[in-house]
Amino acid sequence: MATTAPAGTRRPAGIVPTGVLVLGAVYTLFPVSWVVVAATKSKAELFSTPTFAPGTGLLSNLADLFAYRDGVFWLWLLNTVLYAGGGAVLATAVATVSGYALATYAFRGRGLIFNLLVGGILVPPVVLAIPQYLLFSEASLAGTYWSVLLPQILSPYSVYLARIYARAAIPASLLEAGRLDGAGEWRLFHRVSLPMLTPAMVTIFLFQFVAIWNNFLLPFIMLGDDYRFPLTVGLYTLLAAGANQPSLYNLIITGTLLSLVPLVALFLTMQRHWRADLSGGAVKS
Amino acid sequence: MTTRIRQGAPRAGAVPYLFLAPAMVLFTLFMALPIGYTAYLSLRRTKVSGLGLGAGARTEVFAGLGNYAAAIGDGELWAGWLRVLGYGALVLALMLGLALVFALMLDAAHVRLAQITRISIYLPYAVPGVAATLMWGFLYLPGLSPFGDHPFLSAGLVTFSMANVAVWGGTGFNMLVLYTNLRAVPREYYEAARIDGAGELGIALRIKIPILVPAIILTTVFSVVATIQVFTEPTTLRPLTNTISSTWSPLMKVYRDAFVTGDLHSAAATSMAIAGISLAVSFGFLRVVKNHAFGED
Amino acid sequence: MRVYQLATAAILVAALGAACSGGSGEPSATSGGGAASGGPVTLTYWTWVPNMDKIVSVWNQAHPDIQVTVSKQAGGDDAAAKFLTAARAGNPPDLVQAEYQMLPSFVAAGAVADIKAETAKARGEFGEGVWGLVTLGTEAVYAVPQDSGPMMLYYRRDLFDKYGIEVPKTWDEYAEAARAVRRKDPKVFLGTFSSKDPGWFAGLAQQAGAQWWSIDGDAWKVAVDDEATRKVASYWGGLVKEGVIDDTPYFTPEWNKALNDGRLLTWPSAVWGPGVLSSNAPKAKGKWAVAPLPQWNAGENHSGFWGGSSTAVAAKSAARAAAATFATWLNTDPQALGLLIEEGAVYPASTKGAALMTEAPGYFSNQPDFWKQAAAIGATARGFTFGPDVNVTYNAYRDAFDKAVADRSDFTAAVRTMQDTTVADMRKTGFTLAQ
Repeated sequence: MATTAPAGTRRPAGIVPTGVLVLGAVYTLFPVSWVVVAATKSKAELFSTPTFAPGTGLLSNLADLFAYRDGVFWLWLLNTVLYAGGGAVLATAVATVSGYALATYAFRGRGLIFNLLVGGILVPPVVLAIPQYLLFSEASLAGTYWSVLLPQILSPYSVYLARIYARAAIPASLLEAGRLDGAGEWRLFHRVSLPMLTPAMVTIFLFQFVAIWNNFLLPFIMLGDDYRFPLTVGLYTLLAAGANQPSLYNLIITGTLLSLVPLVALFLTMQRHWRADLSGGAVKS
Repeated sequence: MTTRIRQGAPRAGAVPYLFLAPAMVLFTLFMALPIGYTAYLSLRRTKVSGLGLGAGARTEVFAGLGNYAAAIGDGELWAGWLRVLGYGALVLALMLGLALVFALMLDAAHVRLAQITRISIYLPYAVPGVAATLMWGFLYLPGLSPFGDHPFLSAGLVTFSMANVAVWGGTGFNMLVLYTNLRAVPREYYEAARIDGAGELGIALRIKIPILVPAIILTTVFSVVATIQVFTEPTTLRPLTNTISSTWSPLMKVYRDAFVTGDLHSAAATSMAIAGISLAVSFGFLRVVKNHAFGED
Repeated sequence: MRVYQLATAAILVAALGAACSGGSGEPSATSGGGAASGGPVTLTYWTWVPNMDKIVSVWNQAHPDIQVTVSKQAGGDDAAAKFLTAARAGNPPDLVQAEYQMLPSFVAAGAVADIKAETAKARGEFGEGVWGLVTLGTEAVYAVPQDSGPMMLYYRRDLFDKYGIEVPKTWDEYAEAARAVRRKDPKVFLGTFSSKDPGWFAGLAQQAGAQWWSIDGDAWKVAVDDEATRKVASYWGGLVKEGVIDDTPYFTPEWNKALNDGRLLTWPSAVWGPGVLSSNAPKAKGKWAVAPLPQWNAGENHSGFWGGSSTAVAAKSAARAAAATFATWLNTDPQALGLLIEEGAVYPASTKGAALMTEAPGYFSNQPDFWKQAAAIGATARGFTFGPDVNVTYNAYRDAFDKAVADRSDFTAAVRTMQDTTVADMRKTGFTLAQ
């Protein structure tokens, strides 16, 4: 695939890279397109018509889903927005100040604190969920909105990202100059550094938003009241309907499709801000 | 690199600690405390007397390292580690390999349709693991699959089928990480090479990949950690096939002990072991590649 | 209720906006449960019965002093695990749906209350067998029975006619029929062995006369690999190995598809089967029929139980009497039973409730005496006592039989694995075991 072209000759159209990318896109879109098709199938069609044959049941599936338990689906959606939105805002705030402090100050215990915060990524969520539940119960908070929100505010990956970005984006000389001008540390952070950290904050927000939106285990363990469930747990109750009850596959598939819509919309509108450059600092300097 | 510049960073008294206070409070409450509690639970066990019915028949007693000894002596757990090792090698090679290829293609000189394909490949990142596995699960089942009657979930293929779900879900994210890194490279780097007669392939191999090494190392570490913790894919596929046991991966065994058979103490001991192994593997890996890695202390 | 929840959500959004570090939150204190001082008693109820909120609202209207809130849960093992965790943490719901096989685990964990005094009135409403499932053979009463699942054979009458097969009266005839079907159409199976449904296998073992657990003085006796169970296992193992029975697990999309396509002709299932069939195989409406399970010996008349659950009161509930009163009403009051049947698609365990079932389910409109058949079969069903670690046994079933099916290996060895795993777990935990 040496697509070298001496200067002056006609430039190659990039067939190889374009072809590879199109193949990749086909691979990733394939199962998604199945969900779209499957959501149009009625109960009778789902298990009897060919896999990719569209059905006639989209409207009845939607009607069934919205009528289920008097429209509890909307409440699940609202809860999910609340958990993901609230959690991501707080996570971004915490990660930004932490990353900023770790990147721009020299102080005792900096390495230790950084390792502790980032080391959290090594602990599987399954491991934490039960003791978290037992401790929340001690505090009489299990089953509340807080029990799902609070544990998801500290995100090791976000702290890591914020620190890397802050190292690369904030020149020490700028802070130095500010200090000489007599600016306080909070003011330096707030007025000087924060604007420069905005791209990282958007990335962290989006990252954490998706992570909480898709989280299943923590809310599953914490919440008893199905009016507080997020979408993942709510849809799961349709799948595991109980020993003697049929799984409501139509509703699950339609619900899954609908739960993807807000995220895809978020992606398309915010895609310019997606950076996710873990080691941006290492390259940019 | 930036580290050099930062040597004279200010000693600002209590300020950095104040900035870090929220994170440390959260860490203490929602990480340290639960982990400590898990460690405590792992040293205890439930003791029942007689029939175990009626109040007071069940007590908690100190078990020493008994639960750890049981975890180490459990052949099924070791078999689980082996399965995850095979699965992990497959996922890491395919996912990071594809991510790298896609990132390089996106960054190639004359690519078309870059935006739409980039978003498409990235899209699975927005799909929850449970939903992704269910989708593929439907497509794997002989009666429903559009690929005819291939036994995707048979004993011989199930690892590949599961790896495919993980690759599908993770490639886009890693691709974007690498691509973003490539975009940060000044274009002039390549111009010089072009003048020297290097082709796109040559530029990719000789310039772009070396630049990406730190990013590749990081994505590898994060992927290794995620692979050690593999749980969602096998758990969701399990009801559809009889080739995945309830202890297929170590984390599934933790879940089984804690939620299915109600032995919180064994689960706690196994959890601690998994966290320990994750720590060892990722630190070991970082140590091996240290000379490549950034200026982090 | 929902308006209230929405309001809570809105307040939280506002609170979050104002919060900045979020280090420690105030208890929002909205979790239900317990007796509110002064006002009416509020009870929370975890269940997965469809439309239970509609049934409960009838109670709520008639009892302003005892208000019940339904929280719909995922069913099965997950529900049990979640309840045990909640009980351990000290904040369980007041009322919980408990499958019979899980009740001993709940009792052993001290999670459910003895409600003997509060349910004295209910005793007369239930048969001896089903009542034994909520007393575990002790003096106490741990729950009020809700539904039961006597097993019977569902079969495709139209396809039986098409292939010229008689309804099998014995398991030998069933095996013969399985072979005959394969000869006539190699795409079709008479039935399938499910390595994912230990409750199904337990029901078949019960039919054969198995007693997996029993209480012997102050000791448990475990006999998962007893003669009867081994007989059932080797029978199905033989058919699977021979290739005349499929091995697709029940309730999977693949199984649904096979039902829809008419590639599965029978399903040895329980009385709640119509709900599953009508939802998963809507096309085959009016084509299925029921008959008693095939017997081990011609002339016998036995069945077993698959599924069924009860309503238990949490030991930690602050309003035990009110909860027990509600549980009794739900499962014995004629109006409640009528609603359970109609809205919840439940086959009531109470004798009065079973008598209320007259009109055949729509899916079986071709068989107007459906419930008469079911009642007659139900009378022949025999169960057994469940042990305190059924979860371990059931999980061992899935793992061992998954492997046995995949390897086409000896099914009786899988039964032995179940026995060994169960005994090892009970011994480790410290239960006294009879030799």
